[in-house]
Amino acid sequence: MNEIGLKELLYKMADDLLILGHRNSEWTGMGPLLEEDIAFSSMAQDKVGQSLALYTILHQLGEQDPDTVAFTRNAGQFHNCILVELPNQEYDFSLIRHFLFDMADALRWEMLTQSSYEPLSLLAKKVRGELRYHTLHATTWMKQLGSATETSIARLQQSLTTVTPFALAIFEESPYEKEIIESGVFEGEKVLMEKWKLKIADVISQTQLMLPDWKTITPMLGGRTGKHSEHLQPMLEEMSEVFRIDPTAEW
Amino acid sequence: MDSLDPRVLRLPKVGEPGVVQPKVALDQFGSFEVFVQPREGKPFQHEGIVHSPNIELAYVLAKETFTRRFTCTSLYVVETRNVFVSPLTDGNRNVYDLIAAVPASGEKEDYEVYHLQKRGKQHVHVGSVKAGGLEEAMSMAKLAFNAGGIYNVWTIRHSDIRFTKPEELDLWTTLPEKRFRDAADYKGGDKLKNFLEKRKML
Amino acid sequence: MYGGGNTFEGVKTDSVAKEDLVKLAEFEARIARGEKIEPADWMPELYRKQLIRMIEQHGHSEIIGALPEGTWITRAPGFKRKMALMAKVQDEVGHAQLLYSAAETLGKSREQMIDDLITGKSKYSNIFNYPTFTWADCCFISWLVDAGAIVNQLANAKGSYGPYCRALERICAEESFHLKYGHHCVIYLAAGTTKQRQMFQEALNRWWPPMMHFFGPSDKISTHTEVLMRWKVKMGTNDEMRNQFLDMYVPKIRELGFTIPDPNLKKNTTTNKWEYTEPDWEEFKRVINGGGPCNKERLEVRRIAEERGKWVREALKSSTTAYVTPLA
Repeated sequence: MNEIGLKELLYKMADDLLILGHRNSEWTGMGPLLEEDIAFSSMAQDKVGQSLALYTILHQLGEQDPDTVAFTRNAGQFHNCILVELPNQEYDFSLIRHFLFDMADALRWEMLTQSSYEPLSLLAKKVRGELRYHTLHATTWMKQLGSATETSIARLQQSLTTVTPFALAIFEESPYEKEIIESGVFEGEKVLMEKWKLKIADVISQTQLMLPDWKTITPMLGGRTGKHSEHLQPMLEEMSEVFRIDPTAEW
Repeated sequence: MDSLDPRVLRLPKVGEPGVVQPKVALDQFGSFEVFVQPREGKPFQHEGIVHSPNIELAYVLAKETFTRRFTCTSLYVVETRNVFVSPLTDGNRNVYDLIAAVPASGEKEDYEVYHLQKRGKQHVHVGSVKAGGLEEAMSMAKLAFNAGGIYNVWTIRHSDIRFTKPEELDLWTTLPEKRFRDAADYKGGDKLKNFLEKRKML
Repeated sequence: MYGGGNTFEGVKTDSVAKEDLVKLAEFEARIARGEKIEPADWMPELYRKQLIRMIEQHGHSEIIGALPEGTWITRAPGFKRKMALMAKVQDEVGHAQLLYSAAETLGKSREQMIDDLITGKSKYSNIFNYPTFTWADCCFISWLVDAGAIVNQLANAKGSYGPYCRALERICAEESFHLKYGHHCVIYLAAGTTKQRQMFQEALNRWWPPMMHFFGPSDKISTHTEVLMRWKVKMGTNDEMRNQFLDMYVPKIRELGFTIPDPNLKKNTTTNKWEYTEPDWEEFKRVINGGGPCNKERLEVRRIAEERGKWVREALKSSTTAYVTPLA
């Protein structure tokens, strides 16, 4: 098995989950309804927890420990897609991002239950229930707000249009795509993207929202190779503000 | 707003500072009663309410509001106004003594029955009956479950409940592993002991 | 997290005289027997009013209390702390949800409670009107403010109103995680570098006075209403709660080698009571009435959060919804 390729896959998944979990946790105590505040926080915790599980696998493969990896790298060393690092904005943006990302994430984990790399297939089977909740939550909100009032439909549509180019870049291919597929670790980003397009089209068709024509969209690539928006570095600085006071200290 | 909180500094300007728009009626929606089964084989019990615009979202919201820790095998929700409530008794008065027989009528459906066995505790599911309506269900419950010492009875039409679907039963599988929510995961004993010993030596 | 006894005002008990004497006797007998009062039971007006006030204030304290710690979620050092703090602050939001629901069973709508919080009509625990400057302030809250809240909540859980007791049972179970987590954080600061120890000592210096205020004005200057004690609405005096907290936590703080910033703090071995420098009750009053360093910010953040969520709630409001009071 190509270890560099495997690590690349683990890093991008872990980084996506950590950064999005962090972003979503910013809503804690500020959500639109107490009950939703709680639900959104739980999913953020699940994401950070899943990222920790992936960094732990990486650590077993010889990478540094999870805290060091998560709290001391600079933006250029992160492999997450740009989608997850964008600031939260209003709830329509956060919901659309949650929907588009989590539908892809759930499919990715589902595919990984068949991975030839056992630590990953075991983890994928374990987190299945968490992903079921995330997609149940996302599709319930999408279906409801996406066919409610003029305001809610317009807001979601606006966010959907803004977010799709970033969402397409979830599937930015790795330089090791071929090896990863051939070794049976993962079926690859192309297969995932096609499955995702069908899944989200199915949900969107049950709303009054319109998906853009995929052919007209240029994916906002770069995140997977460390080229990020201006938002990631300040976010990381905030995240590691205490940790960096003394990285050798135990907190 | 000037603040030490970076999240607050990022908040957008909304409305006029200090000018409160009073909430309109139902801004927080209606309420739904939540029932949880903590373990396989245990009866469902009432846990509390969630506010939600409809039953499907109520189910989604109830899951994290009431089953974030320990174990859970299943959960369901029903709109508060669809719960039929008996009178409430105290002391040695059995509530079923106040429930009259209701003549059977209409088409039979399933109804779920809940008892309050001790004041201050939660309502617990005791079983189901077939009846032609909520009141009839209560009189059927009297025939089926009246063991005495009951203070309050609820009946709910089975079809009014949003149950957990068979494919959703894995929603709680990782719950016991979420140790970071558990007091037992924060044992500082050794660290403290070492620290105290080091201080003694100084 | 709630410390009880938030105001100096006495309670007007005139309405009790107008109650139906037979019903009142039954009600009092039920409480004397140790039975809980449930929402459908008859209850005196004063009982209902005081409980709404108390449970609502408790709920507000939770949702506002989520702010001074919530600010550290994005900065918590390391995975263990980050996930724990996310879960802890989420619990505080959950506690508000539970408490508002309990207050609703007494007839006040959640809409009205949130409005009364944001307009400043209802109060919340004074301690959350102070800022958290460093990570150590956040640890102080997680450990010691929660510890204070537990003292109060364990007492209130033995009260007479069923829905409040049930909510508190759940809350206390969650608070045991908060307390352990908070203590764990402080042990690590204590056993850590000089800088870490200093951070906590400074936090302790800042937070000790508000912590002493937390349990409410001293028994010498606050009014006690015997009837509320008899009805098991109020379960202990402010000074009793404060004393219990000092009993449990002063030794634990000192064990870690920190100095509590009150040279007069000591236990009187004859009375078995703690003696301390009288807290500045003028400051307490000033902060309660809006003059604290963060009062404005806290309410403004809540106002903005409610306003930003309005379109979401408006969109999903259904014309077929009718509000009925929750059951239990």
